[in-house]
Amino acid sequence: MSEPLLVFDHASLAYGRTTAVEDVHGAVLSGQSVALIGPNGAGKSTLLRSVLGLVDVVAGRIEVLGTTPVRARREVAYVPQVDTLDAQFPVSVRQVVLMGRYRDVGWLRRPSPRDRAIADEALDAVGLAARREDRFGMLSGGQQQRVLLARAIAQQPRLLLLDEPFNGVDAVSQQALLAALRRLRDGGAAVVVSTHDLALAHLACDEVCLLNKHQVAFGPTDETLTPHLLRAAYGGQALELAGDNVIVAR
Amino acid sequence: MGLRGVAVAVAAGAIALLACAPGGGEQRPDSGAALDVVATTPVLADFVRNVGGDRVHLVQILKPGVDPHDYEASPADIQAIADADLVVENGVGLEAAWLDDTVAAADYHGQVVDGSRGVTILAGTGEESRDPHIWHDPANARIMVGDIAAALAAKDPAGTAGAERNAAGYDAKLAALDVENKAAIGTIPATQRKLVTNHDAFGYYCARYGITFVGSIIPSFDTSAELSGNEVSDLVAEIRRTGVRAVFSESSLPPKTAETVAREAGVQVVEGEDTLYADGLGPVGSPGGTYLSAERHNTATIVKALGGRV
Amino acid sequence: MRYLIEPFGSPFMQRALAEALLLGAVAAVVSVFVVLRRLAFVSDVLTHTVFPGVVIGFVVAGTGGIVWGALVFAVLSAVLITVLAARSRVTEDASMAIVLTGFFAVGVVLVSRQTSFTSDLTAFLFGRILTVDRQQLVMTAVLGAAVLLLLGLLGKELLFRAFDPAGAEARGYRVLVLDLVLNLAVALVVVAAVRAVGTVLVIALLVVPGAAGRLLSDRLAGIALVAVGTALLAGWLGLVASWQASVNHELRLASGATVVLVLVLLYGAAAGIAALRKVRT
Repeated sequence: MSEPLLVFDHASLAYGRTTAVEDVHGAVLSGQSVALIGPNGAGKSTLLRSVLGLVDVVAGRIEVLGTTPVRARREVAYVPQVDTLDAQFPVSVRQVVLMGRYRDVGWLRRPSPRDRAIADEALDAVGLAARREDRFGMLSGGQQQRVLLARAIAQQPRLLLLDEPFNGVDAVSQQALLAALRRLRDGGAAVVVSTHDLALAHLACDEVCLLNKHQVAFGPTDETLTPHLLRAAYGGQALELAGDNVIVAR
Repeated sequence: MGLRGVAVAVAAGAIALLACAPGGGEQRPDSGAALDVVATTPVLADFVRNVGGDRVHLVQILKPGVDPHDYEASPADIQAIADADLVVENGVGLEAAWLDDTVAAADYHGQVVDGSRGVTILAGTGEESRDPHIWHDPANARIMVGDIAAALAAKDPAGTAGAERNAAGYDAKLAALDVENKAAIGTIPATQRKLVTNHDAFGYYCARYGITFVGSIIPSFDTSAELSGNEVSDLVAEIRRTGVRAVFSESSLPPKTAETVAREAGVQVVEGEDTLYADGLGPVGSPGGTYLSAERHNTATIVKALGGRV
Repeated sequence: MRYLIEPFGSPFMQRALAEALLLGAVAAVVSVFVVLRRLAFVSDVLTHTVFPGVVIGFVVAGTGGIVWGALVFAVLSAVLITVLAARSRVTEDASMAIVLTGFFAVGVVLVSRQTSFTSDLTAFLFGRILTVDRQQLVMTAVLGAAVLLLLGLLGKELLFRAFDPAGAEARGYRVLVLDLVLNLAVALVVVAAVRAVGTVLVIALLVVPGAAGRLLSDRLAGIALVAVGTALLAGWLGLVASWQASVNHELRLASGATVVLVLVLLYGAAAGIAALRKVRT
């Protein structure tokens, strides 16, 4: 059954006095994946953070898993970009994935064998079980991204938010990421992923939300990734090629 | 896992350590001499040597030139106190900042002889109430030597006769010093009998010999304070007003401020080889190596600088 | 070997050793986090902001009051520093430096108003580890236990925040609170260290062990092990050196400072080992 796990009801988001994103409207259903597309500074990260309850909603409303973003946090997983992390940090891949279990373990307690089993499974789901004991920073960028996804999977979330996970990621890792995401959706979770890669959006996502400080469009991928709408979102930075092919600059 | 294990090991080790850490006294080794005595200041050490002679194995804590008001005891110092039969201090708060803690750390529960017992303590000019520099008055020195002799005799009855003999001999020398000082200072023109020193260490000396204490660079009995700008100009003005001829620096303090004040006031600064021994003695063999020689040096220097005849 | 044991025949040296080992071990565990979170400067700020508390405690209640005054200022400082760091991202260094010097100056001014104070001042700044008594040992142990408890209970969350603050925030952890906890742990170590090595030298205990551990290991447990080992070794060897120099060579080496010196030398050795490893791989 397809229930809406994430609903934007004409929501506008602001940091303090400045409005960052205006009038986002649409829903993400269970088992669906939505691509968040727009130029740099369009508010994609802001939108993701608002789903986590970290950004003020100054107009309209956001409903996550039937309740407020803050209350829903337990079952919402966030995958940040890899380059925000310190590659020298002395943690193993396994330890990173285990971090996804911490909230469920709770304060003052240690992870149980079951927690470790879940973490190991999640690592397996992204195809990196063999690298378990390696230091996180020793992996390639794409592999690190997969580990962060595994961490999110270990949370056993119903809603997954990914912040440009495909940036600079090698083909193998990209495949692994897509495969894991597909399995999550098959399990009923919903996925929101911000990206610049239009081909990937076509390939992996049911719907697209086009953003440029306001919502340009929110609908099925084929209907949204049109040259006309893309130009509206990217301004002069969209270049039309033969037929329906459009290149967008970052 | 790993980090927690380390923390647990640390905690366990800590508990074990605490349990083993001793609170108090253990046995002391022996030096072979009849009495192991620890004296704090060079002056006291000199007195003890003169009174106790061969029967005493003496450890002197403060070496020449070291400031007695502010001192950190070394392991050797604490060890010496731990092994001592007797500890001799100046008293009147001279060693207050560090001696009590040091004696406690050494777990020494024996007698701490107060060299100032019986001495009339002078009040201070500043905020402190009691001037600890009692030894510059030979009359006080005689009392201190008496205190030491009594303590040594009590602890070492077999050596009483020798101690008393030594003390009597030394007492005579102190009496002679007193007479000399009086005579020498008598040669200073009356109007010139004024003293400006580095810190306020000569209160008893001035009182005994009728010298006016005009002021000191460091306006306190110990060496920690600093003159404020106002105080410096006040002192300079006072020097000019009273017609003081010289500013005296001393052996355990840097001479810079004394030089500055002297320059401002247009008077001579007495330093270098002529530095006064205010807080202690000089190295063995130097003009200030013993109490008697140091006091003689002080008097000669002061008298010469103030226009007397030596 | 006798050379390394004989200094500790007397109770005062045994107490000094106990203090050095207790303090060193706790500080070493904290230093792991200090190094991972790059809090060396913040820790230095905390050593300076605790200082006026030491002075006020002494003025109000004598030597017994030092720890309480320090404790109050430790908590205040931890809060202030945490808030400052959270607010000003760009000028963080500057505002911290202002707090550091401001607090320290207040402390010095207060000290200078007391006439008989220099020796106490140097005691606060550089410690008097040889005159540590049983009561101080207990205080160090209690503070140390509190710190280890804090870090032990919140260890995994502190690790998460250190590694991925954005991820931790997204997970609903209050990064500000976690940072406050760690800053408080550092401040408590400073309080515990005041009597033993003083506020100026404690920064070495809070940074060098963790740094040495980082040089030699890529695992959290390994780093902690090396850190604690280094601190313990430095405490022991530093006291040995200070005692042997004083008793057998009439050479004065201030004990607290000698411990720190040995710690730094051990770091040098760790750096050497790390460099050799690099060459060989």
